[in-house]
Amino acid sequence: MIALTQTLILGVLAGAVYALMASGLTLIFGVMRVINIAHGAFAVLAAFLTYSLWSAFGLDPLLAIPFIMVVMFGIGWVVYQGAVRHSRGSHVSMTVLVTFGIALVLEGVMGIIWGNRSASIRTDYTDASVEVGPFFFPQVQLLAAAIAVVVLIALYFLLNKTWLGRAIRAASVNESGALLVGVSVAAVAALTFAIGIATLGAGGAMLGAIQPIVPGTHYQWIARLLAIIVLGGFGSLPGAVIGAMIIGVTEMLATTYVGSAWPVAVPFLIIFIVLIVRPQGIMGARLREDLVS
Amino acid sequence: MSDAAAKSVQDERRSRLIRNGVLAVLALIVVLFPLIGDASMENTMILALIFAIGASGLNIITGYTGYLSLSQGAFLGIGAYVAAILGRSMPDISPFVWMPVAGLTAALLAMLLGLVTYRSRGASFVIITIAFLFLVQFVATQWVPVTNGTAGITFPLPTWSNAVWGNWPFHLVLVGLLALSILVSWWIRRTKFGTGLIAIREDEGKAGSVGINAPIYKLLAFGLSALFVGMAGTVYGYYLSFVDPIGMFSILNSVIIVLAIILGGRGTLLGPVLGAFILVPVDAFANNYLGGGNIRLLVFGGLLVLLVVLLPKGIIPTVQLLLEKRRTKGTVGLTGSITALADRPLPPPREKLAPVGDTMLLQVTGLEKSFGALKAVDGCTFGVPEGSITALIGPNGSGKTTVFNLISGLMTPDAGEIVLDGERIEGLAPWGRAHRGIGRTFQMTRLFREMTVLENVVAPLRDFQFRQLGLGAVSGSEAEKAEEFLEFVGMQAYRDARAGSLSYGQQKLVELAQILVLDPKLIMLDEPAGGINPTLIERMGGLIRELNDQGKTFLLVEHNMPFVLGLCNPVRVLARGQVIAEGSPAEIQKDPLVLDAYLGDDYMLENRSGDGAAAKGEGR
Amino acid sequence: MAASRATRIAALTAGLSLLVGVSACATDSGGTTDDPIVIGASLPLTGEFSQGGLDTQQGYEVWVEMTNEAGGILGRDVEIVIRDDATNQNTVVTNYNNLISVDDVDLLLGSQSSLLNIPASAVAERNEMVFVCPSCGSPDMFNRGFEFIFFSQQAVATDQARVFAEWIAALPEDQRPKTAAYPSLDDPFAGPVVDGAEAILSAAGIETVYKDIYPATTKNFDSIVAAIAASGAEMVVQGAQFEDGVNFVRSMNRAGYEPDILYQSSSPTYGQQYFDGVGEDNTQGVFFSTSYSSVASTPGNAEFLAKYEEMFGGIPPEDAADGFAAGEVLKAAAEAVGGIDDQRALADWIRANEVQTILGTLSWNENGSPKGDFLVGQWQDGSAQIVLPAEAATSETIFRWRGAAFE
Repeated sequence: MIALTQTLILGVLAGAVYALMASGLTLIFGVMRVINIAHGAFAVLAAFLTYSLWSAFGLDPLLAIPFIMVVMFGIGWVVYQGAVRHSRGSHVSMTVLVTFGIALVLEGVMGIIWGNRSASIRTDYTDASVEVGPFFFPQVQLLAAAIAVVVLIALYFLLNKTWLGRAIRAASVNESGALLVGVSVAAVAALTFAIGIATLGAGGAMLGAIQPIVPGTHYQWIARLLAIIVLGGFGSLPGAVIGAMIIGVTEMLATTYVGSAWPVAVPFLIIFIVLIVRPQGIMGARLREDLVS
Repeated sequence: MSDAAAKSVQDERRSRLIRNGVLAVLALIVVLFPLIGDASMENTMILALIFAIGASGLNIITGYTGYLSLSQGAFLGIGAYVAAILGRSMPDISPFVWMPVAGLTAALLAMLLGLVTYRSRGASFVIITIAFLFLVQFVATQWVPVTNGTAGITFPLPTWSNAVWGNWPFHLVLVGLLALSILVSWWIRRTKFGTGLIAIREDEGKAGSVGINAPIYKLLAFGLSALFVGMAGTVYGYYLSFVDPIGMFSILNSVIIVLAIILGGRGTLLGPVLGAFILVPVDAFANNYLGGGNIRLLVFGGLLVLLVVLLPKGIIPTVQLLLEKRRTKGTVGLTGSITALADRPLPPPREKLAPVGDTMLLQVTGLEKSFGALKAVDGCTFGVPEGSITALIGPNGSGKTTVFNLISGLMTPDAGEIVLDGERIEGLAPWGRAHRGIGRTFQMTRLFREMTVLENVVAPLRDFQFRQLGLGAVSGSEAEKAEEFLEFVGMQAYRDARAGSLSYGQQKLVELAQILVLDPKLIMLDEPAGGINPTLIERMGGLIRELNDQGKTFLLVEHNMPFVLGLCNPVRVLARGQVIAEGSPAEIQKDPLVLDAYLGDDYMLENRSGDGAAAKGEGR
Repeated sequence: MAASRATRIAALTAGLSLLVGVSACATDSGGTTDDPIVIGASLPLTGEFSQGGLDTQQGYEVWVEMTNEAGGILGRDVEIVIRDDATNQNTVVTNYNNLISVDDVDLLLGSQSSLLNIPASAVAERNEMVFVCPSCGSPDMFNRGFEFIFFSQQAVATDQARVFAEWIAALPEDQRPKTAAYPSLDDPFAGPVVDGAEAILSAAGIETVYKDIYPATTKNFDSIVAAIAASGAEMVVQGAQFEDGVNFVRSMNRAGYEPDILYQSSSPTYGQQYFDGVGEDNTQGVFFSTSYSSVASTPGNAEFLAKYEEMFGGIPPEDAADGFAAGEVLKAAAEAVGGIDDQRALADWIRANEVQTILGTLSWNENGSPKGDFLVGQWQDGSAQIVLPAEAATSETIFRWRGAAFE
C-alpha cells in the first residue's frame, strides 16, 4: 500500500510537468491543425539553455524560467515564420514531415553546440526530498509541479480572459470568421506557435533540473507528449492535463508493477490504441480527415 | 494542324526512345556496378539498392494510395530479423533461402498495420506509423527468447570467397529484388488495382461510393509495399552480419525512405528509386566528409523541411511539368469550351411527367442520425417509386445531404431501415451499396482530380473480384462503354484532360458519366443544377429525362425550384430531418406546411426561383 | 588485404565462363617504408554511445601521439583516421569499408560498444584484417568462429563482476548482506555483468529481492528506486552504463534509500564526470569493476597519465585507457612480427602471446576473447582506488557505501 501510494505521488508530480509541456502542443494543434513533432526537441533545447545558464553563470534553473520562456518564444516565432508557415497550405501529413525535419535539425544543432554527452544540473534541492511519514516528495519535482500549475493557470487565463485569447480561440474555431472580425489569422498562428513553445520552455527548464539531458532523448519526449494529447483529445487544454496525469501515473505504475522496460511502450501503446479505438480522445474532436467512415 | 500533330507524335516517340535508352544504360550501370566501383562505392550501392527497394515499395501506399508512413524501415528490420531468427536454429542453410519467408512475414505485418487505416488517416495515421515502428522495436528488445534482446543476433559470414566473389551475390540479389519491385509497381499502375488505389488517394469516400472496396485494396497495397523490402531486409541483415533492435529499427531509415519518395516524386514509377540513389550517397558523403552524426541530422532534417516547402512534388513530376510546358508552349489546351456539348441533339422535352408506379425501388423508414447534440436526421421516412424522378427538397440544414450520405453509405445511421429493391442495405459498406445499384454524385463534385476524365469514368466497379484487380485499367469493352457514356454526356472531347482542370459544370457531367458505368438502378444526384450555367442546367435536365426514359430511377436533391418542378414527380419535402410533405409538384406548391418550413428558416424562395426562371427563359 | 578491382573482374569473368580456380593474388604495398602507417577506426562520436566513443577517441589520439614520440612502429610514423558512425550500424559498416578500400589503411582498431563492433568486426574478418577492439565485451562476439578479432580488456562482460561477487560471498556471516537488488540497463554489456554477479551471490545464500532490466531511455529512476527501497535490499548491484548510474544514485538520495553496499558496473569509472554527476559524498564507497585504474603502476601508465593531462586535461576515463591499450596490442604485434602486411601472422602472434599494457598483462583464448579478470575499484575520499584483487590493490581498506569500513 505504501509502495502504491508512493508510486501514485511520483506519477502525479511527473504528470504536472508533462501537462505543462503538452499544453503547448495541444494549443498549437488546436489553432493551426499542425502536429508539432519538434515539440520534444524544443523541450530538450530549453533544458540545454537552462543548463548553459546554470553552468556558465550559476543561475538557478527555476529562476531562469522567465528568461528561457522569452528566448523560446523568440525561437518559436522564428521557426514558425521560417519553416512551419510554409507548409500550412499542404496536406496535414506534410506538416508532420516538416516538423519532424525541424526536430532532426534541432537534434543536430544541439549535438553540435552541447555535444552528445549528457548534461545534468545539480543544485542543493535537486537531490533532496520532503519526507511525509513513509513517503518522499522529491523537492525539485514538487517545485516543478507548483510552477507547472502556475504557468498552466496563467495560460488558461490568457486564453479565456484576454483579447488575444479570444482571437486565438476564434482563429481555432473558424478561420474565415476570425478574418471577418478583424483577427489576422497569420499573426495569431505565429503568436500561438510562439506561446506554445514558450510554455514548453518553462517545462524544459524544469526538465533540465529534474533529469540529465541528451539531444537524442527528444523522441521519447515527443512520444510521451503525443500520447498525452492523443489521450486527452487533440486541441483540448483540460484534456492535456488529464492525459498528462494518466500518462505520468501509468508510467510509474508500469515501472513498479510490470517492469521498468514498459514505460517506454506505454506512450506508443496509448497512441496506437486510442487513435484506433477512440480517435477523438477523452475530450477532443476527431481530426477532420479521420471522418472517413 | 495535322502536321503539327504528326510532329508532336514524332517528337514524343523520339523523346521516349531517348528516355528508354538512358534508362537502359543506367540499369546496365547499376547491374554491373561492382565492376566499376571500389569496395566503398559498392557498399554505398548496396545500401542505395536496399533503400530504393524500400522506397519503391512505400510508393505503393504513399504515392499511389496516399497514406504517408514512417514505418517502412520497420519492415526492413522485420525481414532481417526473420532471417536471423530462422538462421539461428538452422545455421547451415544460406540466409538467402529465408528471403521469401521474410518477405511474407513483413507483408502480413504490413497488412495488419493496413487494418489501422480503416479507422485513421492523414496526420493521425503518420503518428500511428511512428508508434508502430517503436512498438516493433520494443518487441524486438523484450522478446528475448526469440530475438535475443538488445544483444541482437549475428549472421554467419558469407560462405563464398570474398577475394573472388566480393559482394556480387548481395548485389545481384538486390538488383533482382529492385527489378521485381519496380515491375510490380509498373503492373499495379496499369491495372484496375492501381486505378482503385489512386482513387482512394484522391478521395477515399468517393472511391467507396463508386464501388471500390477500399479496405481490400488497401490491405493488398500494404502487403505488397512491404513484400520486397522484407526480402531486402534479409540481404541487409546478412550483409551487415548482425541484427539488433537499435540499428534495425532506427527511425532514420524510415526518414530516408520517405525522403527518397518525396525527392524523386510521389506516385511516379522511378522517382522513389531515383530519390534513394541520390540520398544514400549524400548520406555517405555527409558522414565521411562533413563530420558525421550531427551533420547527418542537419542534412536530413533540413532536406525534409526544404523539400516539403520548396519541391513538394519531387524531381520527376517537376521535370515532367517543365518539359510539358516547353512542348505545349504556343498550343491551345482543351479548357473551358463547351461547344462540344451542342454536338448531340437533345430529346424533346416531354409534355407529360413520367407516370409513377406503385412499387418502391428505395424505401427509407425511420432514419436517424445525430452529430453530438444536433439531430440532423430525425425519423425520416419516404420512398422512391421505381421509374420515377423523385425530388428531395427542403430548406438549408434540413438534412438532405445527410440523408444522401446515409443512403449511399458514407455515414452509418443511428437507427432506421434502408431497403433497396427488397434488400436491407443500411448495414452495407458504400461499395456494397454501389454494387447493388446505387450511384450518387456529390454537391461539390468529387472527381479524382489527378486522373484523366477517361480514367475517372472507368474507375467505378460494379462488383468486387480478386481477378478483376489484375485487369488493365483502361481496356476492352469497359473502355468502349466509358467512351459511350462520355459521348452521352457530351464530354468525349475531354477524355484525356485532367479531371481537376475541367470547369465545375463539366465536372458534374463527368461525374454523371462516371456513375453510369456502375449501371445503377437508382441514380442519386446532389444538386445537379447547382452552381452551373443555364445552358448546362438545361443539358443536365435533358440527360436525366433521357436516362429516365431508358428506365433509370432518380433521386434528386435540388434547390433550383423551377428545375425540380419541371422535372420531378413525386417530390418529398424535408425539414428538420423529417419528411413533412409528399406529393406531385402541384400539390407541394400549395402545401402550407412547406411554405412554413421555408419561410420559417428565412428561406428566400423567390430568390432561388428567380435564378431558375432565368435559366428556363433562356433554355426554351 | 582487400582484393584489387582487377582481381575481382578477373574472378567474375572466370566464374561466368565456368573456369573455376583463380590464381590471381592481391598485389599491393608498393610504397616506400618511410610512409606513415595508417590506422583506421570508426567510433560513435555522436548518437547514443557518443560518451564512450569520444573517450575512446582520446585514448587513440594519446596512443598515436606517444607512439610517434617514441619513434613510431617499426620506425614508421603512425597516423590514425577516425570516422564517426553516429552509433549507427549501417554507418559503421560503411566506415570500415571506406577505411579499407578508400583510405587504404594498413591496420584497424575497433569501434566502441559490442553493438557496433559485431558488424564492424565482420567487415574486418571478410577482408582478413586484424581487428583489435577496445570495447566488445558481449560474449556473442567470440562464438562466430572469427580469426581476426581480439578484445583488448581483461574479460568479457559475464565475468566482469566475478572478483567482486566472490569477495562478497566470502565475507563473514555478520558482515555479509542478506538481500540484494539487481537493476540493470538493457544492454549486452551491462546485463551479463549483473547476471554473473547474481549467480555467485545467490549461490552463496544472498536472497534476490529485486531484479529488473530497464531500457536505455530511462531517465527518472524515482519509481525504480522506490520499488527497491520497498524491497528492503541491503545491497544493490547495478549494471549501469554512465548516466543511468548517476541518475540512480540521485534518485536514491531523493528516496532516502541507503543500502550497505552499492556496486555499479561502468558508471563510476567515468572519473570526474561521475564525481560531478553524483557529488562527492555519494561517491564514497561505491564499488565498480574496471579494466583500468589511473593509480595503477602498470607499465607505461605514468606516461599515459601525463600525456593525457597534457592533451585533454584531467584524469583519463576508462574508455580512453582501453583505447590506448588496444593501440598497444596492435603495436606489440606489429613489432614482434616485424611487418604489417601479413595480417594473419599478426593475428596468430596475438593469439599466442601476452601483451603488457596500461591495463596490465593481457592474453587471449583461441576465439580472441581475453582470459583475465577485471579489477574491483572503489571510490574513496574523492578518488577511485583499486581494492581487489589484493595484489593489484592501491588501497587496503574497503568501505560500505557512505559508511564504515569492512574489518
